Amino acid sequence: MEEQIDLVGKAFTDHYYHLFDNDRPALSSLYRPSSMLTFEGQKILGVEDITAKLTSLPFDQCQHVISTTDSQPSTFAGGIVVFVSGSLQLPGEEHHLRFSQMFHLVPIVEGNFFVQNDIFRLNYG
Amino acid sequence: MDPDAVAKAFVDHYYSTFDANRAGLGNLYQEGSMLTFEGQKIQGSQSIVAKLASLPFQQCKHNITTVDCQPSGAGGVLVFVSGTLQLAGEQHALKFSQMFHLMPTPQGSFYVLNDIFRLNYA
Repeated sequence: MEEQIDLVGKAFTDHYYHLFDNDRPALSSLYRPSSMLTFEGQKILGVEDITAKLTSLPFDQCQHVISTTDSQPSTFAGGIVVFVSGSLQLPGEEHHLRFSQMFHLVPIVEGNFFVQNDIFRLNYG
Repeated sequence: MDPDAVAKAFVDHYYSTFDANRAGLGNLYQEGSMLTFEGQKIQGSQSIVAKLASLPFQQCKHNITTVDCQPSGAGGVLVFVSGTLQLAGEQHALKFSQMFHLMPTPQGSFYVLNDIFRLNYA
């Protein structure tokens, strides 16, 4: 039986990757000025720079296919850490790229979260 | 507190302890610590160490490829690791990713509050 925290983590990642694959600029709604992204080792701070980075990635279309989602409560104030693995399909590319990503979600109001921490890595080999 | 320095020191210590003496990992976890190991959820230092000590191999060697870290707020540090796990007698190393959420202790060190481990299959 799935616990509450798993449902929240899954609902968040479903929403996140849906936005990423269909309306990347709308990802800005999930970050704040204090948010941090490390994307393949590059560190980016704040919703504006993070959105600029994600919308400037060198592909127009993509599809995330999620294999695993693990969630745990993080500490005070209802934070959640979410660990995702899956693959990223780019149009025209024969092979999927495998990736892992972790999010630290912090609640704004009941049931709504923003991404305080985001770390993304491709899994090579 | 420099998150990069904390992360590097922690990762070095964690995996060298894991590879040399898994039971020694106990003092890195507390009662409220959580481990999700390949989807299985375990809580508390005792149960976590019992799980890690009972993994079906005697010897292993972690080789770390990437370490990323960020401050999580309130002095915490998030650490995201990828690498390979070589088991004695196995021809192919297993690829894995792992995340840790480290929290400061009153004594000035860190313990693992959250730990999530996943093998990366091809």
